Parts: sequence; structure tokens; C-alpha cells
Amino acid sequence: MWRNGCILAALVIGLTGSGARSQEDLNSVLEKMMKDAARKAGPSVVQIETVGGADLVVAGPKGQIFRKALGATTGVVVSEDGYIITSAFNFINNPPTILVRVHGKTDTPLKAERVATDKSRMLTLIKVDAKGLPVAPYVPKKAIKEGQWTIALGRSLDAKVGPTPTMAIGVVSAIGRIWGKAIQTDAKVSPENYGGPIVDIEGRMQGIIVPLSPRGGEDDVTAGIEWYHSGIGFAVPMEDVLAVLPRMKLGKDLQKGLLGVAMKSQDMYSALPEIGTVLKGSPAEKAGLKPGDVILEVENQSVVSMAQVQHILGVKYEGDKIQVKYKRGKDTLEIKSLELSGKNVTIAQAFLGILPMRDDPSLGVEIRQVFAGSPADKAGLKVGDRILKFGLDEKNLTEFTGEKRGRSQFLDWLNTLAPGYDVKLAVKRKGAGQLETVSATLADMPGSLPGAPGTILDKLPEVASFKKALAPLELNNPNIKNPKIVEAKVPEPETGLLELNTPDGEHKYVLWVYPEYDPNIAHSMIVWLHPPGKGSKEDLDAWADLWDEHCRRNHIILCMPVENQDGWQPSYSDYVVAAARETMKTYTIDNQRVIAHGIGTGGQMALHLAFNHRDLFRGALATGATASQIKDNIASQRLSFLLYGGDLDPLNKSIAESRTRLAERRYPAFYREMKDRGREYLTAKNIEEALRWLETLDQQ
Amino acid sequence: MIRYKTYYLPITLLAVAVCASASSAQAPVTETALTVNKKLVKLFGIGGFKGLPSYGSGILVSKQGHILTVNNHILINPGILVHLYDGRQYQAKVIAREPELDVALLKIDEEVDFLPHYNFDEQAARPIGENGDWILAMSNQFKIALRDEPMSVSKGIVAAVADLRGRRGVFDAPYAGDVYFLDIVVCNPGAAGGALVNLKGNLLGLIGRELKDSRLDTWINYAVPIQAQANVLIEGKPGTVTMAHFVKKGMEGTYKESDKIAKVDAGGYHGITLVVEATRSAPPYVEEVVPGSPADKAGLRPDDLILYVEGFSVPTIKVFRETLKLYAPDSEIRVQYQRGNKLENVKIKLTKHPKLQASN
Repeated sequence: MWRNGCILAALVIGLTGSGARSQEDLNSVLEKMMKDAARKAGPSVVQIETVGGADLVVAGPKGQIFRKALGATTGVVVSEDGYIITSAFNFINNPPTILVRVHGKTDTPLKAERVATDKSRMLTLIKVDAKGLPVAPYVPKKAIKEGQWTIALGRSLDAKVGPTPTMAIGVVSAIGRIWGKAIQTDAKVSPENYGGPIVDIEGRMQGIIVPLSPRGGEDDVTAGIEWYHSGIGFAVPMEDVLAVLPRMKLGKDLQKGLLGVAMKSQDMYSALPEIGTVLKGSPAEKAGLKPGDVILEVENQSVVSMAQVQHILGVKYEGDKIQVKYKRGKDTLEIKSLELSGKNVTIAQAFLGILPMRDDPSLGVEIRQVFAGSPADKAGLKVGDRILKFGLDEKNLTEFTGEKRGRSQFLDWLNTLAPGYDVKLAVKRKGAGQLETVSATLADMPGSLPGAPGTILDKLPEVASFKKALAPLELNNPNIKNPKIVEAKVPEPETGLLELNTPDGEHKYVLWVYPEYDPNIAHSMIVWLHPPGKGSKEDLDAWADLWDEHCRRNHIILCMPVENQDGWQPSYSDYVVAAARETMKTYTIDNQRVIAHGIGTGGQMALHLAFNHRDLFRGALATGATASQIKDNIASQRLSFLLYGGDLDPLNKSIAESRTRLAERRYPAFYREMKDRGREYLTAKNIEEALRWLETLDQQ
Repeated sequence: MIRYKTYYLPITLLAVAVCASASSAQAPVTETALTVNKKLVKLFGIGGFKGLPSYGSGILVSKQGHILTVNNHILINPGILVHLYDGRQYQAKVIAREPELDVALLKIDEEVDFLPHYNFDEQAARPIGENGDWILAMSNQFKIALRDEPMSVSKGIVAAVADLRGRRGVFDAPYAGDVYFLDIVVCNPGAAGGALVNLKGNLLGLIGRELKDSRLDTWINYAVPIQAQANVLIEGKPGTVTMAHFVKKGMEGTYKESDKIAKVDAGGYHGITLVVEATRSAPPYVEEVVPGSPADKAGLRPDDLILYVEGFSVPTIKVFRETLKLYAPDSEIRVQYQRGNKLENVKIKLTKHPKLQASN
């Protein structure tokens, strides 16, 4: 940069006459420098055309529909022997044919093959059969500073692939964005230049333009595209691209490096980074990290929040080794070298195959239903049997304590296991009363296999509850104090269609509590995200009518936050959550059966809520909406999905695909196609099915 | 992006404020903006429809009050209100249109004289600009200015000089030639017909409409260069019309609007049958080649995948069909296609459609 500074300084000193005159000359010098920079980098900025591939449609956070762009996109030559780096966005639909056109040789497009994708930074490396391609110099990361000029270059608009690529001018707005991975610029970025470079005033590569979002999940190549032309654009520093190039050239996709822990607190900024869950088979588990450990140091930098941990880990890849120091009780322990894994640690939730009886104050778990063909079925468990002890070693089984409800304690234990584990259960048989020990091999949660659609129970057992939600729990040890029963709230709260305000008084929500509500029965709660403009009391009442019969029979409370502006947006989550929590304070709600539900943008919002408020929601029921930002599955925070798509809805294919992607992350996820329907609400038959899904969310 | 568009409003206003209050260091841009502003007008139609704005921008091209603007919907109504830079208000009428250039010429109804204006011939004689040129875009976007309030000024660069047709379907593009793509958000409601100028105030182009790029799904910010020309039919005969010609003849009152070209079924015959268009983005694979047809003579075979026509990519069947309609019988087109794993290059000489030939 100092060189430019000298040129400008010299120019200013050399000029005589009025200030206006010198400014005019400065402008034209700067204009010329920028054009020269673009022209200098131009030859290594290539045009990429893709042909064929899926007709992908993705809905953004506001429910917009994004198609895979059909136009040409941009790439940057990174080695003279034909390697070209570009944005993974350009390959979102797996195009079979990839063509590259280089300036000066547009008559002979080059066929390209995909080599590898960097799934952490959303870059794809392709290779053409060529020699002597021009490689532009790059700016080292440490020389990139806020306020410097950036010129974004693209080839999308330019059918002729001329000497100067398409230009957009801005400055470096920030460095180290998206957990340390990206430079931010205010130059106009969009599909017109994704995959192209940002260059400095000398035409040196600063980075590769990619759509990124700090909220994007992995594999989510469209996260951030809603920010196109908005003044917020991202580019991966060229130095980082070149650093991973040798690994990408080997043809292996790069994954973000994962530790395999979930933090205890949802608050990533002000809570200490205390581990809540250690994922099975994860690097953290192998290195001996346990729930309750507090991370003190990562890569020799001390940390006091999860955000700080994430800033350090954000730039790491699978296979990278890190140092971790942590506190366990009074001891400070250190792991010198912990090798991060890719995303393959995701495992399905373990499934025994029973529905427990609800509102049961007695010790143990009484079986309400045994799923046909499940491990429980194979082990000979029957309806009415009561599980009294559990464990992996028959000689050392754990008893229920009564500190929490039996099914909760049992679930906590199951959540620490994985499919394939052999478990031993001491069971008191129905009626006869003798105690038997049975073995079962845990299976995958139904619906969590990507290849199989998964079945939803077609009939529910009549009796679900002992109707003793408010009764004190039976204790195993008289020395422990009786726990507060969190489910029991107000003995005789209001019922009917209730118009309420969130505690801050700012937002309205409507509840439907059927008149026969019994606080001794734990209820399901459906949080309904109404379609835009359908938030009047009459509208909500009409919708509640569709579910009313089920509400009475299956004990469901409907919570309907009202949104009167311009449709659901992620930032409205807080008051939706506030409304739901307020309802749970007053009514007896089963925390295993709280779901978000909506259609279209409401469905999108339901999915957003489920992923981002996992301490509250156990499922999302969505129609005409796709899961676009899928987060990792966490055993202790179960989530299940039921997605409906009308066969006439252009989103339908993406909905089906998002079910597969959810199942690939081993979430229980179901997709159902509605015949001869567009983006419409569920039919009575669909509602019955959705009800059975809701009713089995507490399956174990 | 619509929701961001509104965010540009304050930025644009700021730009005006900066220009107006800046020290002498900013003077060239300020002077330019003030000078250009006098040559621009605010246009008001009567009522909008379908959510389209009822207002726009225009450029004075004669001292008697001839105004060049975009041939858009606000001109449907006969009475158009014009606000000059000094606050004077006049009625104006459309006196000429050329849809192929997407321009219209208005004339202020009353006798006015000595209005500041651009000498269009002189301006259009300058060479077309290039990528990276610094520009000012001036218009009455969002109807922010009334009467003597100045037009909004935005500063940016020419992102690219490139074909507008490539960004849109053939039928949707109001003007099918090279345009200035801009790196700033300019094509806001009411901006169409505004001026794109360089920092010296020379006229570069006419700000375009609000259009979406049908291939990339992004909003386009563009201006039609004043050197624009279009191939048209005039009274049945093929010819070329330039914007300067349009302005000159329009002012003389002798401009003849070009014939409406029937684009449907236009284009020569090639003899290629494509595979069934299963999805919107189905690529143009050859299903059959009619024996003896131009494509057959050029050597195309079933299962070939057509990639480029005359250097324009044809990623889908729809784009291929629309593109081919631009090439008349007897024209020779260069086609690049993929056979197996190899790329091939051929020239196909289009003919008249066999059925049409028979009936002739």
C-alpha cells in the first residue's frame, strides 16, 4: 500500500491550481488505478458455466425462493496447471457439465472437473486440462486492513470474457468475520461475482467472494445470499485459500473441524464455556472431556465464553490438532493435542421402542406402548411392564431416584447412549409382579435414516396418562428432599380462547385452552405461526377449530403468537418464545411435546425456532417450507420434523430434499406429499397423522 | 433485495448533502451535479397501476423543451406533468417512441425557450464507456424531489458494458443490446429516464427500468448507452436505428416508429429436436436431427449437448429456443456442443422452415 500512498502524495504535491482541480486529477488517477487493477487481475478471473443438475429451490429466512442461478459464474485461477477456485454456491445443484472460459480464448471453452469442496468456507476447487494459465499475486492476510479499497471482480455478465471483468468498488469493512473466516466488504457482491476475487488497488487478490452467514449451518451454501447487493459481502482471504489448496488438490472435501461438545448454557457470550453434552464417538469424548468440564484455554488462548471458543475453532478443519485446557472440579487438566473431526460424529438418537405412561409419580417407567419390531418388542417387553432398573452391566444396574420423573431420568440415560448399545433392563411384569432382566440392542430413532422414509405409528393407545401430574413424586431414598414439580402450575387457570400479552406487554398472543382442561394431565403445546395477515382473533379461532377435537381428546394447548407487520422474521423469535414460556408457567405442559407449526413463511419460522430454541421446542411441523439452515443434532435436545409439501408447490422437491438432509444429520424427520395441492394447509387426514407424530414425541 | 432498496434512500440523500456542502476538494462532483441537474426533469403520470410508480425522470435534449425518457408505462396517459429544475411546471405530450430502443420523446406543450439541455448529437458522438468508468447517476428515484428540489445523485462505477439480453429472456428485454451495468443500486422506482453521466457531466446513458435478471435472480442496475442502436423493421424493410437518429427525427416530427417485430416463430430452421423439457432448467440435449436439415449437414447427432450459440451460453432448452429466434433464415450460427467428453465447434447455416417454404 505504501507505494500507492507515494503516488497519491506525489500527485498532490505536484499539482498546482485550485483544490477542485487537484481533486479532479486525483479522481481520474484513482479511476485509472482501479481499472488497471481490474485489468491486471482480469486474465486470472475466469467464467464458469454449468449445465444440467438439479433444479434446486431453497427458501431463505423470509421464505423467499432462490433458484440455482442459470447464468455463468466466476472463478479464479490458483495454479498455472489448471486449478481454479470458486464459490460452492455455483455447484449447489451438482451440475454434470462444467465449462470454463478464459479471457482471450473464449472460442475454446475448457471442460472442468470438480476436485473438492471446502465445506467450512464454501469454496469449490475445479480443474481444467490446461497449462500456463495466469495466476495473479495475492495480498497476505496481515496486510489487509479495514478501509482499504476492494474491487470485486466477476465474469457473470460478460459473455465476451473481455480484458476487464465486471467491477464493483468498495472498501474492506471488517476482517475476521464469520468466526474468523472472512473479510467483509461493502462492494456489491451477488451471484454476479460469487467465486470471483476481491482485489486491492494494485490488482492483487485479497480473497474469494462467497455467500456466507454467521448463522449458516454446514453445507448451507445459500446462507448469506439474501444479503446480495446489500453492502454486506464476504470473501475468504486468499492466503487461507492457498493454505488449504494442497489438501483440496488431493480430491478430499474439507470439513469444518468439530470438537463434539454442546455447551450447557444457551448463552454463548456471557456464560462460562461449561460442557453440557459430549457427543458419542467425538474427539472430545476420545480425549476424555466430560459434561461439567469448563474450558479454560484453546490453542493457548484463555477463553471465558463459548463465543471465544468458537472464534478459535471456527477457522479449523477436520484433522487439525488443537490444545485444550479445562477445569474439572478443582483440577486443571490439559489435552496437548486433540484432533478435530469432520461432521461424521453425528449419530442417530438411541431408540428402545416404547412410549412411557405420562404423569406417573411412581418410581420407574411404565410402558404405555411397544413399537412393533423395535428392540423393546424383540426383548419381549409388553404394555403395562414397569422398568425399575437400567444399565449396561447386568450386575451393576441403576435404580430410579425419584429426583425427577422416571421417564425423564430414563431419557437422560438413553441420551448418553447410541444405537447399537446393548442395554439391560430390570422389569416388573404387568400383573404377575415378578422382576425379570431383559436385554435389548438399541436401534436408530424412527425416521432418522436418510434412505428410508420412516413410519409414524398408525394407531395410538387410548390411555396415555395416570393423571397425577401435580402429585409429589415417589422417592427411592427418604433422605432426598422432594423435588419441585416443574410441570404443575396453576390449579384452576382460565380456559377458552384467551387474548394475552407477553410479559413485556409489547406483543399479543392468543391461547386456545379447551374448557375441560385438567392440570393433572401434561399437555402437548402447538405454537402456531399464522400466515401473514391471518393473525386476527377470528382467523386464529377458525384455525383452532381444525384442531379442537384433537385438543380435547389428546390434551393439546394451542399457543398463537400474533404478528401484524410484514411476516415472520427470525428476529421475532424472542416474543414467540416468551409467549410459549409464559403458557408453560400457567398450564401443565409436557416439555417433550412442544412444537412449532406453520405454513409457508410460518413454516420457515417454525423450522428456525426449532433449530434456534432447542431448549424449548422438541419438533417442527411445517407445510410448504424447507429446512435451509440445518444445525447439528444434539442428543440432549431432541428434535423431530414432520414436513408436508403439496405436489403442485414449486418448493415441493426442496421440501423432500430437506427431509433427506435432516435425516442425514440423523434427525428423526418425515416428509409427506399432498396430492393435487399447492402450498395449502393440511387436510383432516394429514392433521390426524401429524397428531400421531406429536403424540409419539416422548417415545424412548 | 427490495427490502434493501429502501435503505439506499438515506445514503443517496446523504450523497446529495455531501455534494452540496462539501469543501472545494469535492467541487468537481458538486459542480457536475449542479450543472446536470438543470438539464433533468421530474415526470409525473396520472396514477400508477399494478403497484408501478406513476412518476419518472427525463433528460432535456433541446432548448424548446424536448425530453428524452424511457418508453414506460407512465406515458400511457396523455397528460404528463413536467417539473423543471427551477420549479416551473408544464404539461407535456409524447411525440415519438421507439420500443426497440426503449425510449420516448416528449415535448413541453407551451412555448419555452433557452432551457438548459444536452446537445444529443454531440454527446452521442463520444465513444461508449468502459468497465470501471466513474459515474454519477441522477434521477428522481422514489419521487423524493418536487418542483425545484434537485435530483438525487449517486456515485459509482460502470461494473460492465455487456449485453442486456443475456440477463433476460428475449421477450422480456425491452432493449436487447449492450448496456452499462452499474455497481450501485440505481434502478429504483422513478429512476428510469434519469441520466448516467461521467464526472465531467457528459451524458453516458439513460437509466433503465426496474428489471430482474432472470438467470441469476438478482435485480439489475443498468443504463442504456446514448450510442445505442437497434435492428428494426421499418415499413417491412430491415434497418438500424440509433438513439441520436431517433432524437433528431423525433424533434423534427418525422420519426417513424419501427414495425412491431413478430418474435414468435421468428428465427431460421435448424432441424434439431430437443429432449422433452422435464424441468425448467433442463439442458438442451439433442433428441433427434432431421435428416438433410442444416443441423444434420453440420454433423449434429442425438445426445449431443448444446452449450453455446454465437458465444452465448444456452444452459436450458428455453434459453436455446429463445436465442435461436434471434437468427433469421440464411444466417450462419456458430454452435459449440459436447459429445461424450469432448467439446465440438460447428457452424450451422439456418434455412427457412420447410413448411413455410412449401407454402411460399
